[in-house]
This record gives sequence, C-alpha cells and structure tokens, in this order.
Amino acid sequence: MAEVAYDSASRIYTGNPPVRAVDQLNLDVADGEFLVLVGPSGSGKSTALRMLAGLEDVDEGAIKIGGKDVTNVPPKGRDIAMVFQSYALYPHMTVAENMGFALKLRGTPKQEIKDKVAEAAKMLDLTKYLDRKPKALSGGQRQRVAMGRAIVREPSVFLMDEPLSNLDAKLRVETRANIAALQQRLGTTTIYVTHDQVEAMTMGHRVAVLKDGLLQQCASPRELYDRPANAFVAGFIGSPAMNLKTVPITAEGAQLDGLTVPLSRASLDKVGGLTEVTFGVRPESLKLAGADEQGMELTVELVEELGADAYVYGSVRIGGTPERFIVRVDGRTPPAFGQTVKVALRDAGEIHLFHPESGARLEA
Amino acid sequence: MRASIGRYWYAYAMVLPVVVVIAVLVLYPLVQGVYFTFTDINESTIANPVLDREASYEFVGLRNYLNVLSGDASFGAFWATLLRTVIWTGTCVVLTYGTGLGLALLLNRPMRLRGLYRVLLILPWAVPAFISAFAWKYMFNSQYGIINQLLGSLGLPQPVWLGQSDLALVAVIIVNVWLGVPFMMVALLGGLQSIPADLYEAAEVDGATPWQRFREVTLPGLRSVSSTVVLLGVIWTFNMFPVIYLVAGQNPNTRILVTYAFERFFSGASRDYAVASTYGVLILSVLLVFASFYRRALRRQGELV
Repeated sequence: MAEVAYDSASRIYTGNPPVRAVDQLNLDVADGEFLVLVGPSGSGKSTALRMLAGLEDVDEGAIKIGGKDVTNVPPKGRDIAMVFQSYALYPHMTVAENMGFALKLRGTPKQEIKDKVAEAAKMLDLTKYLDRKPKALSGGQRQRVAMGRAIVREPSVFLMDEPLSNLDAKLRVETRANIAALQQRLGTTTIYVTHDQVEAMTMGHRVAVLKDGLLQQCASPRELYDRPANAFVAGFIGSPAMNLKTVPITAEGAQLDGLTVPLSRASLDKVGGLTEVTFGVRPESLKLAGADEQGMELTVELVEELGADAYVYGSVRIGGTPERFIVRVDGRTPPAFGQTVKVALRDAGEIHLFHPESGARLEA
Repeated sequence: MRASIGRYWYAYAMVLPVVVVIAVLVLYPLVQGVYFTFTDINESTIANPVLDREASYEFVGLRNYLNVLSGDASFGAFWATLLRTVIWTGTCVVLTYGTGLGLALLLNRPMRLRGLYRVLLILPWAVPAFISAFAWKYMFNSQYGIINQLLGSLGLPQPVWLGQSDLALVAVIIVNVWLGVPFMMVALLGGLQSIPADLYEAAEVDGATPWQRFREVTLPGLRSVSSTVVLLGVIWTFNMFPVIYLVAGQNPNTRILVTYAFERFFSGASRDYAVASTYGVLILSVLLVFASFYRRALRRQGELV
C-alpha cells in the first residue's frame, strides 16, 4: 500500500534534437487509487510507467513511492509488480513456478510460496492450470497468469502496461471488469496504461491524458468527459469523438451554418476579442430539429446503426467549406443516406469552447 | 496401388532422382562398408583390374569385431582410443560452447563497432580448415613457432607441442576450439536475439540479479539452440579428421577413432580395409547410441515434441 508521485519527472532520449518522451510530469496518485494513463501511441504513457518501474531512467525530476524517493533505486528495490502487454511469462516454467518466481528469488519458504500461489490461482480461476506451461494456455489464461504473478507478490503498487490489448474484443470487456473488481478488492495502488479511452473511462478512478510527453489533464472520468481541459482531451475522450470545428463568433454567439448558438455572458467574457473559436459539441448533444426550428443543414453521408442508437455522419457547410459532423439519433428512425436533415442542439449548455490556437478551454 | 501410380506418377517421377542419388551415394557405400566388416578384405585380397586379379577375400564372420573390441594394440587399442576420442570430443565441445556463449553474450550488448567485431570473430570460419590447420601447425613448431617464441620471451618453458606426448592432444584441441567457436557464437547469438527483452524486464522487476537473469531467462531461452549445436558439435568433433591429421599427423597421442580408421585404410604394410570398415561401423554405432540417448534426455525435459 503506497502512494505514488511523479515530481517533474522527465525522460529525454538523446538525439538531434533530443526527444522529451515524458516532459515534466507531475502526478500524485493516492494510496489504493486506480489511475489510468491514456494517450495515443507515442504520447509517453508507457515510458512514464516504465520510469516508475525503474526500467527507464529518470533524466530530470524525481519519482516517489510511499513517500520514499526511488528515482535511483533499481526495480527490485521498489516493491512493485508489473503486468506486461506480452505478459512476459517465463516459457520454461509452469504456471505455478511463474507465479511464485519472485517469492522464490526473495527466499520465501516453499510451503508459503505454494499457499500464496494457490490462493491467487483460486482468485483468478487458474487452479486447474497450475502445472501447465504458458504455451499450453489460451490468451485469456496467460493474461490471468500475468495478473497472478503480480498479485502473489503483494506489492505496494501494480503497474499494468496495456494488459488487455492482446485479447479479443469480448474477452477484453470481461477481463476489464475483472481487473477493476480485483483492484477494488485488493485495494492496491494501480497505474494502468492503455491507448483505449473506453478502458480508461471504465476502469480508472482518475484518468491522466498524455500527448507528446505532456500531461494534458488528470481528472475523474466524469470530469474529463464533461469539462475537458483542452481541445485534444475533448477529441480524445468519448466515442464517437466530439465534433470540434473552428467557427466565427459574434455578439449573438457562435455562428454555425443556419444555427446561432447563444453564449452565456461568462463565456462571452472569456472569448474576449476573438473572432473565431474552436466549438465542440458531442454527438449526443445534437438532435434532429423539427421543421420550424432553427438548425444546421446536414447532408447524410453514413449512418451507423447500433441498435438502440444510430450515429449519423454528415457534412455541414461552415463558412463555405464542408465540415463533418456526427449526430446521435434514435436507432429506430434514422435518416437515410443522401437525405438532408436539420440538426440543432439539445441544450445550449452542452457545448465546449476552446481557444482556436492554444486549444485551451474557454468557458468558466 | 496401380491407381495411385497412375494418379501420382508425376510426384513419383520428381522424387525418383533424389532416391537414386541417396541410394548410390549413401546406401550403397554404407551397405558395402558393413559387408566388408565381415570379410578379410585388404590390399592383397581385393579385386585388382590392373593386375588382372580376381577378388580373393573371404567371409570371416565376426572375427574383425572380436579383434577390434579385444582392445589389442595391433588393432588400434580400441578402448583406449575410444576414451581419448571421448575426452577430445568432450573437451572441444565444452570449450567451444563456453567460449561461443561468452562471445555471443558480449556481442549481444549494444556497443561501438559491434558489426566489425562480429565479422572478425566469424573469420576463422571463413578460412578453409586445412589452411588454418597448417598455419597452426607452424605456430606450434617447437623451434620456430610463434607460440614458443612468445613463451620464451616471457621466460616460460618452450615445450615440444606436437611431439609424442599428451601436449599434442592439447594443441589439437586448441586448434579445434579456435575453428569451432565461430559456429557456436553465431548460432547462440541468433538464439540470444530471439529471447524477448520483456522477459528480462519481468525478471528484473521480480527481483532477479544479473546472474539469476542469466540462469532463469538466458539459459532456458537458449535451450533449443544449445541442444542442437551441442549435438552437432559432438558429431562433428567425434569425426573431426582434418584438424588432427593435418596438425599432428600420425601421432598415437592424438589418435582418435576416425584417424585410426584412416591410418588403417591408407597406410601400413597391407591396407586393411576390413578393420578400417569395422572402425567405421563402430563409430557410427557409438554416435547413433549417443544421439538416441541425447534425444530421449531432451524429450524428457520437454524440449523436443
């Protein structure tokens, strides 16, 4: 049990110019918290995790586990357990040997190892497979063995590097729930890396979004979704992605084609002298408008029917150029391809405004 | 049967040349060699078309085997020679494997000029074996050889390397190790590179020291490559004729089974083809027994399926 802190930690790869894979990362993870690091590939999320594991150097700043500075401590002295994307199971050892290896290295008595392995195996439904070698297991079972190897050690922090990305979609959803439940039960501080924002949103107590080695925002899933700190987070979190368009702005509000979105006084103050803003609205905040309502003219290009809902992809002309918009509509009465429909906001409050250049959030 | 020939004649026709080549180049000599071991064939009893002489060798049953296996010195002191062959093979394989693994581990780490080192270390392999053998023979020369000159300049004794003593065996082992290391190194380097890096990281996080990582990740990861190269190394070294013969000549202190078979076949008062063939068959038997035990041991460890 321990809290984790990144204190302006950077990882700089030599080169010309040097690459700051992780740049001045500041992050505090509370004891028992499940924190997800999420970002596109190359965002530095895995590097940040490996820095915490001690597999990657920390070039600037410090890393603390349980209040102790571990910046220059080798991995074995950090009391962490890591689950790798490839699982990294030792191929010549049985499941039981794999799970008990760390304890064996520590010189734990044989009987104690056996008991702990048996206990973890029971928790993960692996008891039947303890004598098998990893190559005789399915992908899902291997994943569980990798989890078991981490659990058996009872470390103060779990590190997980995309542990679900080698599983098929159905198993991934199932295992996702299992891992979250297990973490809840064990109450061990967990840092989890993924590129999948759905995983991030469903598993994490808090989610840290990284891009190009820089922390964009670290907040609860709800907060990330409702109040993204910048246009990148707004576009990255949520599926399908938020509609983000640069639109002209006047005293009446944001000018979309055929639709003027009035802005609150506070928002207008923030916008200040700008003539354009990046305007964001989630697909579910849009609706098909009635004939007498004000709305944007959207030409339907694609309809994705998901059963309960349907997503309409279409183009709207803003300032003369066609822009792609996604609208969530009722799954039973979607518009047809090629049709032109009128689209309006469900609620004028469900919009996001960002600075057109910096991307920073503008609303209060 | 007829239907299958009619249907697959093309496949049979394509396979036929290989069958013929193997039969002529492998099976026929093998069967003839085995047959010779039951006769008293030698230079004076073999058919000689030049002298217009008919073959006059006779079937002698197991006499050759009894003579050889008696261990009598006039038949090459089989058991003593076998022991020397085993010592020679064991020492050479252990040293080539150990040195090859050491070099492979060094070359597997990132460093400057790695490509150059790899090429240099593979060079002994690229030089024809007989050239290396002759070069070493002169290096081991007791009066003019560079080895003794070096030893002399260091104030050390300058032994007669290739004389009638066990030093000759040491010398040929050195030469053979020098020749054999590149193969081991290249094979093991390939094996090392196929071990996933995250296994090392997992072991590091699990708390393994470098030595434990070597024992628990590197060695098991190399097991399938190692088992193959050790088997090949044993077979090749057991039958390594050119190094011994070219470096040490007909020296009883470096005599192994194949060199004795060669001596018996090509020299002596009467070229004794029968005894030479008997040695050949015995060598084959020893290696077959070894290989089957070796494979069984590997299978028990779960390496072969």
